[in-house]
Amino acid sequence: MRRLFSLLSTVGLFLASPIVHSQGKDPDSTLTTQLKEVVLTATRTERQLSSLPLPVTLITKQTINQSGTVRLNEILQEQTGIVTVADESGFEGVQIQGISSEYILILIDGVPLVGRSAGNFDLSRLTVGNIKQIEVVKGPSSSLYGSEALGGVINIITEKPDTESLSGNASYRIGSNTTQDINLDFQQHYGPLRYGFFVNRFSSEGYDLRPDTEGQTVPPFHNYTFNGRTYLDLNDKLALFSSGRFFDQKQDAGITVDNISYEGDSKEREWNAHLRLDHKWNPKLETQYELYFTNYTATELLAEPLNGEVLSDSDFDQTLLRPEIRSTYTFTDNSKLTGGAGYQFDRLDRTYFDGKAAFESQYLYLQYDVNPLAPLNVILGGRFDNHSEYNDQFSPKLAIRYQLNEQLSLRSSVGYGFKAPDFRQLYFDFSNSAVGYTVLGYNVAVAKLMELEALGQISNILVPYSELGDPLKAERSIGYNLGVVYKLDKLSVDINLFRNDFENMIDTRAIARKTNGQNVFSYSNFHEIFTTGGEVNATYSLTDDLNLSAGYQLLYAYDKEKKESVKNGEVFARDPLTNQTLAIKGSDHFGLINRSRHNANLKLFYNLPKAAANMNVRVLYRSKYAQYDTNGNGLIDSYDSSFIKGNLLVNVAATKNIYKKFDIQLGANNLFDSTDENIPGQPGMQLFAKLNYQF
Amino acid sequence: MKKTAFLLTTLGLFIASCSSDDDNGPETLPITSEQVINLYAPQTGGQGQGEISGEFTKFDLATGEITTSTTEWDVAFRGTSIAINGGTETGMADEPERNGNAGLTVVTGTFNSVTTVQGLSFAQDSEGSFAIQTASEEGWYTYSGPPNHVISPIPGRVLVVRTRDGHYAKIEILSYYKDSPAEPELTSESRYYTFNYVYNPNEGENSLE
Repeated sequence: MRRLFSLLSTVGLFLASPIVHSQGKDPDSTLTTQLKEVVLTATRTERQLSSLPLPVTLITKQTINQSGTVRLNEILQEQTGIVTVADESGFEGVQIQGISSEYILILIDGVPLVGRSAGNFDLSRLTVGNIKQIEVVKGPSSSLYGSEALGGVINIITEKPDTESLSGNASYRIGSNTTQDINLDFQQHYGPLRYGFFVNRFSSEGYDLRPDTEGQTVPPFHNYTFNGRTYLDLNDKLALFSSGRFFDQKQDAGITVDNISYEGDSKEREWNAHLRLDHKWNPKLETQYELYFTNYTATELLAEPLNGEVLSDSDFDQTLLRPEIRSTYTFTDNSKLTGGAGYQFDRLDRTYFDGKAAFESQYLYLQYDVNPLAPLNVILGGRFDNHSEYNDQFSPKLAIRYQLNEQLSLRSSVGYGFKAPDFRQLYFDFSNSAVGYTVLGYNVAVAKLMELEALGQISNILVPYSELGDPLKAERSIGYNLGVVYKLDKLSVDINLFRNDFENMIDTRAIARKTNGQNVFSYSNFHEIFTTGGEVNATYSLTDDLNLSAGYQLLYAYDKEKKESVKNGEVFARDPLTNQTLAIKGSDHFGLINRSRHNANLKLFYNLPKAAANMNVRVLYRSKYAQYDTNGNGLIDSYDSSFIKGNLLVNVAATKNIYKKFDIQLGANNLFDSTDENIPGQPGMQLFAKLNYQF
Repeated sequence: MKKTAFLLTTLGLFIASCSSDDDNGPETLPITSEQVINLYAPQTGGQGQGEISGEFTKFDLATGEITTSTTEWDVAFRGTSIAINGGTETGMADEPERNGNAGLTVVTGTFNSVTTVQGLSFAQDSEGSFAIQTASEEGWYTYSGPPNHVISPIPGRVLVVRTRDGHYAKIEILSYYKDSPAEPELTSESRYYTFNYVYNPNEGENSLE
């Protein structure tokens, strides 16, 4: 094992060394940095990254700083197999192993963030200014985290202050589109008290990828993030952690309808309060008592500026309260038993809902982490969720890692994931005024349909009332991961094969037809999909100061029923040239929307210790993907015309340290100015300059 | 409306005519395959603008012409709704009276692969529903929803029709937009049907090729 650690250090050095050198610290401290490469998310206990039986991506503060990224979406999309993409709703979210944003759980220090738009979590809401590291566990983790952890868990870890004197940094960054990022971060370890405080202001004038149409792709905005944290050692057994976070954003909004311009603001506000008492009963038993509260609001008001006529006024107000208690017992053979129990209250009040909607759930989880043989690690876990609105869920997980020899290790895991039907799928009550269709949440569908029928708006019912009565089931997945890690001297290769099978996926279907010719839609369980593929990550240190890494993901993502229909020759397309109808072949069937078959990256980090500088180049590629079906056969095939072609991004950054305390950084994201009006989250070339002062 | 017509002589027709020679019966008429371009089927109301109304655009498969006759029609179009001259009124405003015995069924396949009506059963319009449903994916089209709200005929859905007087025909809808743009947009002019059809002028004969 000692040899393994030293190998690890060599590889990990790749990430850590440039900053350490540029800060002019003792080179010995790099070893400590390596040993700190521990992650919390995979097991809810501290585990050495390299010893885990699960596929985990760790992004360190050094990587974030050197890359010059400021928001979470930017740094995540530079990782292999993690892409950000806008879906049909127009909102952007993250995709892991081909699984879309609504099935990916986002945590800060282990507690969940809420506030999604059509299932998508907007990662640009989160600044990376005060992050210690980002941990991404790929594949299902519902055995520990419950609902939404099907595709993976992204956990943002903040730093615990450890310097006796007041330390911190202040930075200013300005870039294209007058994008400004200002940070102030300071912290101190003062006797039994540690505290940290962080402020960020981020603003941009936005950009426009469609100058011929009115309005901007991204309108101007500014936002603030405040975060305060305290860590108080009450005695040698009790420690109290508290954290408060506040986010506030205001963005211009506007739309032109029938030649009338409506203007307004789009506002977002988020609160998080996190309180945790750590209790060390004895060296073997630890208990954590945790209380978490969060509230997210989004409002948008659009009105005609002169006469005040209101076009739309929408509100979204979600609150989540979650007390949890968990304990870990360490046995004499160093195996660990972790258990937890919690209660969750989740409430949403929004436009187009018939009143406030609230969920309650209780849960229990247990995990046993053991090394039955020295080279063998086994983790067995399971979680039970009882929910007020849908059937109970049990989510087990098994993960195994075997160290064959000093160079080679194998890991394998299988786990369940689930996602509870969300508020929208249960309580939505929306009629489109322009087109005339209606969408009803599952729980309100029968009552609302009866109301519409009584008003004489229904011409015929397509799905009988009796069929609308069965409860909507949670979406379920089972995920398999099989990996090999090979490490030799300066080379490290990590290969992971994955397969995720989803069932009970919720989508809309027409349940009735209105007299105006439009449909009433509601939600139902029907799709079954799978995503499968492989991921390879390799790092190689050419010299101590020059490190190269490459990553690649191959992905196949299909709807099972549609794949079967294609196989049976039941799906057709029209050749656009001849207008002849022909049967789709398996090779014409592309799979699910927004999935690229290939995703690759190549990164070079170069450290120049004598010049107290470092520089890097990151090349990111994703192959073509389709946005929606254009030829009416309900699936994506090679005759569809909504493909976005393959996209190459090159990002560069260089940092130089001057007078020990100052860092100057220059960089360019999207160096070759690649844009596509259908990729709204990708502006053209973004140049930036940053000055950082550390104290 | 523009109409292009051409004769189709197929193997089936060849065999059919040979056998009818032997029977010494009445001469078999050739099966016609035609394309109708930009049949305009407007509607009033709908899409949030109140109840749907307006005359259906009626089509006579025997003549291959649009007609205003109240009896000599087989299929009729209004917006995305398709009525047939068989069964009863569904209950919508301004529907044509059903006085024939037309029927309709949807077969999945390429247009050419649908060669006979043998074994098919036909539905008729009835109270509350058309023989072919007017709903995305349920009938002849998919509706893309926001932001483009495009109606796309589902490739491979062949409408097999028994006409008002017992002839058989098949219809393949190609476009719902004027001049059949390859990629219709929100601004494309809609409610213009372009379709292929094959009509067997021999009453009661099953063949569609």
